[in-house]
Amino acid sequence: MYWEENIETLGVEELKKQQLKLLNLTITQAKKSPFYKNYAVDKVDSLTAFQERVPFTRKQDLRDNFPYGFLATDLKNSIRLHSSSGTTGNPTVVFHTKKDIEEWTNQVARCMYMIGMRPGDVFQNTMGYGLFTGGLGFHYGAEALGALTIPIGPGNSKRQIWFMQTFGSNVVHILPSYALRLYSHFEEEKIDPKGLKLRIFIIGSEPHSEEMRQQIEQLYGVKAYNSYGLSEVCGPGVGFECQHQCGIHIWEDYYLVEIIDPQTGKVLPDGEEGELVLTTLKREAMPLLRYRTGDLTRATSSKCACGRSHLRIDRIKGRADDMLIINGVNLFPIQIEKTIMGIPGVGKNYLIEIKKENYMDKLYVKVEVDKEIFEGTLAGLTQLQNRITEELRSEITVSPVVQLSEPGSLPVWEGKAKRVNDLR
Amino acid sequence: MAYHLSIFVENKPGKLEKVTKILAENNFNIYGIYLASAGEFGVVKILTSNLEEAYHLLRKEGFTVSKRKVTIVLLPDKPGEMHKLLTILSCNNINLEDCYGFVLEAKAQAAIVLEAEKYPLLEEVLQSKGYRFFPDEKLASQ
Repeated sequence: MYWEENIETLGVEELKKQQLKLLNLTITQAKKSPFYKNYAVDKVDSLTAFQERVPFTRKQDLRDNFPYGFLATDLKNSIRLHSSSGTTGNPTVVFHTKKDIEEWTNQVARCMYMIGMRPGDVFQNTMGYGLFTGGLGFHYGAEALGALTIPIGPGNSKRQIWFMQTFGSNVVHILPSYALRLYSHFEEEKIDPKGLKLRIFIIGSEPHSEEMRQQIEQLYGVKAYNSYGLSEVCGPGVGFECQHQCGIHIWEDYYLVEIIDPQTGKVLPDGEEGELVLTTLKREAMPLLRYRTGDLTRATSSKCACGRSHLRIDRIKGRADDMLIINGVNLFPIQIEKTIMGIPGVGKNYLIEIKKENYMDKLYVKVEVDKEIFEGTLAGLTQLQNRITEELRSEITVSPVVQLSEPGSLPVWEGKAKRVNDLR
Repeated sequence: MAYHLSIFVENKPGKLEKVTKILAENNFNIYGIYLASAGEFGVVKILTSNLEEAYHLLRKEGFTVSKRKVTIVLLPDKPGEMHKLLTILSCNNINLEDCYGFVLEAKAQAAIVLEAEKYPLLEEVLQSKGYRFFPDEKLASQ
């Protein structure tokens, strides 16, 4: 029932004691990086002392200290780099030592074991491989657990279904929105997914509701478990639901969890909703101290029926910042703005709209044309439209629908413009 | 030298009407109109009287508008004339960007608006074949 019983069920007091020990090791390790080296803290004797003396680390700090400012090891000990999308305003890069990869793999394997995956299972990984951590993170975890791992990657629904049928995949890692869309392909091909061997869906990477989970479970006849992770602290595997599906366990031997008021930065007590702040406890290449995840949730330390002592958070309610998640890809509106404003022919005003179409997110970018350099041909406009589409695709890795608008036709805002219209 | 107006419009009900409303209210006469669409947006080409004034008025009203050089050639309004004209252009390797026409006098005379990259060549070729052009004065004033 447990991957590492002694750790997963460790008494809360003992867990806290171990955390403090790991925390001090992490501070020492972090101070080898250019960013943390001038921090005045060497050793803390309590969590409170840590909170009083160590300020938050923000995503902007990662960007400002791009590319190597957070690297706490020699390059010769770093064996992997992952990164967020884009080149605008510096992407977020994350480094791993060999041990970091092993620890990450262990976290994911622990999560997968917790939801009932066992050696002999056939695991179909429909997440993207590459710089995105969702693909490789689960791949390593599944192999470590001993499952037959199919690195099929995203898209091509017909082939996904064929693999599920042919190889009897019973555990599938999938975007919740894609799970719903894939179902319509099952219908088209007149195949009942309940007749296949499917047993467990791992869903994550994008916020989704309890209703959506239940819908997926009913359509496919599976149990669907919510996965939580972020690339800054490794990737997937930070936390997972157990078989009781009553919150996401965060592995406290790997992370120190705080919930804060995103406005004031004040640490909130158990059960109150706020921004999740994580401190890595075992990372070597890139330890992070009090990292503000931007994710809004609630934490509870109350005992879980599964017997694990590690605390649980609610499913993510939203973001404290303006980050957008489009079909699992994270991006910021500023990336879109900087890209389109650098293209001649683009006017001053633009609007970002996100809609749900056929269960998937669709990104619309409405751009006013610059009337001063309009030369009057349809070909010129089509070219402009194509160029904006291409440059955005390359920056954010999401294909947008670019719509050209007449100058003055998009809403004008007094003060802070509201340029993102999320209609999902 | 003749010009027509080229205006960027979104392909939505009422967008084109906003252009014609301004022209109507200010008493501009539209000789010819042509709409090229790329799905969600398009470009409308308009040949009007007092074209220069129409251009400034539409700009002032916030439209994305530019002037494009055109050649307006006069043809007899009878079968085969358009084909004859296009044969001459293709023989001289002249490619058209835009082309639309209007009848000036039924069964007698029509005007064809041609927008081409090879501008001086277009007029030279047509002149050498004896074609006459729509008088510029007609575009300058009513």
